[in-house]
Amino acid sequence: MRTEANARVRARGLLGSALAKAAAYLVMGTFTLMTVYPLFWLTMNSFKTTREFQVNMLGLPMDPTLENFRMAWEFGEFGKLFPNSFIYTIGTTALVIALSVLAGFAFAKIPRRVTKWIYGSFVVGILLTINTLMIPLFIEVTMLGIYNTRLAVLLVYVGAGLPIGIYLSTEYIRGIPTALVESARIDGAGYFTIFRRIILPMAAPVATTLAILQICSTWNEFALINILVSRTELKSLPLGIFKFSSSLSTDYGKQFAALVIGMAPMLLFYVAFRKQITRGVAAGAVKG
Amino acid sequence: MKKLIIVALMIAVAASLQAQVTLKVLNYQQADQAGYLEDVAIWERFQTLNPDIKLEMEVLFNDPYHEKLQAYAAAGTLPDVFYVWPGARSAVIHEKKLAKDLAKLLGPDYLKNFTGAATNPKNQLGGYLVQLPQSFTYTSVMYVNVKLLKDNGFAVPKTYADLKKMVPKLKAKGIAVMMLPNKDGWPGQSCLFSTVAGRIAGDKFFDDVLAGKAKFTDKAFVDSLKVVEDLYKDGIIQRSDNAIGYGEGPGLFASGKAAIFLDGDWRTGAYITDKASGKALIDPKAQASDFALLPIVALPGEKFPGVNSAVAGTGWAVSGSIPAGSAKEEAAARLIKYLYSEEVQAIRYSTGAYVPTRLGVKATLEPLPAMLPGFYAANPKTSYVIDGVLDPAVYNVINDGLVAIGNGTKTAAVVAKEVQAAFEAWKASKK
Repeated sequence: MRTEANARVRARGLLGSALAKAAAYLVMGTFTLMTVYPLFWLTMNSFKTTREFQVNMLGLPMDPTLENFRMAWEFGEFGKLFPNSFIYTIGTTALVIALSVLAGFAFAKIPRRVTKWIYGSFVVGILLTINTLMIPLFIEVTMLGIYNTRLAVLLVYVGAGLPIGIYLSTEYIRGIPTALVESARIDGAGYFTIFRRIILPMAAPVATTLAILQICSTWNEFALINILVSRTELKSLPLGIFKFSSSLSTDYGKQFAALVIGMAPMLLFYVAFRKQITRGVAAGAVKG
Repeated sequence: MKKLIIVALMIAVAASLQAQVTLKVLNYQQADQAGYLEDVAIWERFQTLNPDIKLEMEVLFNDPYHEKLQAYAAAGTLPDVFYVWPGARSAVIHEKKLAKDLAKLLGPDYLKNFTGAATNPKNQLGGYLVQLPQSFTYTSVMYVNVKLLKDNGFAVPKTYADLKKMVPKLKAKGIAVMMLPNKDGWPGQSCLFSTVAGRIAGDKFFDDVLAGKAKFTDKAFVDSLKVVEDLYKDGIIQRSDNAIGYGEGPGLFASGKAAIFLDGDWRTGAYITDKASGKALIDPKAQASDFALLPIVALPGEKFPGVNSAVAGTGWAVSGSIPAGSAKEEAAARLIKYLYSEEVQAIRYSTGAYVPTRLGVKATLEPLPAMLPGFYAANPKTSYVIDGVLDPAVYNVINDGLVAIGNGTKTAAVVAKEVQAAFEAWKASKK
């Protein structure tokens, strides 16, 4: 009798767990579809002519063409823009990580009277929107004589990335036991040695988080680069894509192809580093 | 003969010694528009024809263009030649008078080659010829599938009642009487309501509102909104059109889903033959035989019959900071005259970009764009396009209100109150 009741409870438990699993899969599947379908739709329609797209928006291409990609590449001058995107993204990411972790160490472990003021002056930058800074920045780089140079772009990008970088690094490094730093100091180590031998290896997770944030934001950034350079040779990918974007646009084929060209490197980046990205986000989200 | 050769040589040497003039140009160019390649060629040809002028060109499009122009204006480093809108979109150029008066730069002899509407300074926010509009755009045009109407026993509609009569029969066949894709909000205002308000309230009403002598809650404006309300209530426009994106409209119309399609005159370019694929959304033969471009039908209660919303188009401007009488000013004027030449305007006309304001421009066109000059001639009376005279803080509320009216979630009176509140808030913010 008791065994039968136990079996019934177990069966009910199994059923409940199967239902919960099914519900979880349904919810996750829906969200996956909501994310993946637009990408699939965009890619699929980039192989259609505009005429075909206008009469067949949801179906597969009847007569697939690569012409949209060839023309988008040529008209958008993506050949000139891609190298710049790589230069700005790699340069900015490397500098923001290096400067943020160094500053984070100083703010978290070498306190002085003015530390909170200097730290605060950096962190307040998080609250400033890019739009409020655009015109002052343009005037500044023009007056400095660095308008239309890669240096201006890198300086501004690094400056824009530092507030959040310093904030995350400082808070992360604050979580590393201060006793480690003090012991090393007693053993005669200088601050730079402590940074290199103790802090840097332990700050790898926050550096990964910063890298992910910085790579995504710099690769997709267009508001600042738009006002910092005028020569095509110095522009980056988003400016090429914006040459195709308009609510009045009539040539969807080229527009979609341009969007796919711009999106592809980020997708490849995610596919190649998805494990590191997931780990980095999870690790960077909690203090060390 | 010897003397002549010597003089010619001297001129050539003097010319070569003279420094090349550099013109900075901020160009507005859309890479996926029909005629992109032709546009690129236009600029290359100027460079070939004018080796003494060096063009340093920056090409932008859409919002990035306006943001950059704003930054240049703020820093006082405007390019020498740039692209300007006649209204609020380029407000900084107009209000601060940052461009030269083209009426003075180009002179009356040159400007007599253009339509009066294009050279009328009143059509520009700055009150002077900041730019020379390349086109004059009608924003409310009925694209009519005459064959579809005929097949169903209807003649081309002339009145609101004609449209209402079509509803039961066409609805039963799953065909919309009039399609207005309004998911994006602005077509309802630009392609329909501007003309409705122009006919019922009139331009003076908007002038009075801006001068504080009238309110959006006045009967004239509420009645205009009621016409839109009725168009949906009577089933002439379907409420589901608010879920159709602007880009989807031409495909649906071309496939016979609607008898009439409401859009601006610029949309004729959507139906012509695509040079890349050699295909047209509507075959040129059918464009000629089965379709017509007509003004919006006569509306109940209209006080200004026959007016249609229209606005001066975009055009080129010259920086006000170029010294008068300088070589740079001469070079800029030469570039402007080239861009507005018959040769260049004919290329733009033939690619479906617009119908030029330059007189006497001829081009080989497909039937739908070729109908536009006739449309303009038959409908000379124009009214404001609302987003050309009101601030975005106000016209966006009108746009949203029209969508709500279309969905049946707000009445005309409620929307009018909201617009008035937005106008008052905007006015207060300007103090």
